[in-house]
Amino acid sequence: MTAITIHCLGAFRDLGDCFTVETSDVSVASIRAAVSRHLVEINRSDLDGVLKRSVFAEGEELLKDHVTVSGHEVSLLPPVAGG
Amino acid sequence: MDLFARNEGERYLCGLIDGPCQTSDLDVFVQDPAHGAIAQFFGVVRNHNEGLSAAAVDYDVHPELALKALSELCLDVCSDYPVKLVMIHSRGLVRVGEASVVIAASSAHRKDALGAVSDAIDQLKIRVPIWKKEIGPDDEQRWLDGHSLRKD
Repeated sequence: MTAITIHCLGAFRDLGDCFTVETSDVSVASIRAAVSRHLVEINRSDLDGVLKRSVFAEGEELLKDHVTVSGHEVSLLPPVAGG
Repeated sequence: MDLFARNEGERYLCGLIDGPCQTSDLDVFVQDPAHGAIAQFFGVVRNHNEGLSAAAVDYDVHPELALKALSELCLDVCSDYPVKLVMIHSRGLVRVGEASVVIAASSAHRKDALGAVSDAIDQLKIRVPIWKKEIGPDDEQRWLDGHSLRKD
């Protein structure tokens, strides 16, 4: 298992600045599934709909679900609403 | 303006600022003796949204990604229109009546400047990693929904 630190932005800030999940592999899809399980564990499954519409980023790169991350930290970006 | 992140190209300046944006002297960034038109847009926090009262908006920003997205947006707008362009967005608390985003464009003739500003704000809202937490008059808070950046 690999520990991945999730940096929170937007609506996920309600969970703190960051949290950690354990994944069996480091694909973005697996990290997304681990975050979804984490939301259930902390009784915040109300954020699961936002999670489905969110994108993960590593550094300055937005990641699609089929790719794997190279490090142990990603940012979780919910739908954007600037302006 | 005291920007904490900025990027500058041949024909554009974009950046992020803590707190509200200044709305004065924005035209200085885009003045050009060959340009006869300057268009400006100020996005200002209003006192209501979706039937609820609002006192302020707290803007959350991913600085690196937001600056990258703003820079790419400026390049796109400058390739679509023959303009000089400036775009600044706030981070943190912006109260009702204060500006959270300012955009100015100059061009030889008005249609390009007006079109550039209109496209810039439309695209900013769906491309730049910035999030709004609306704060009500009794300090109640809610994150506003937005546009997904997910491509798969």
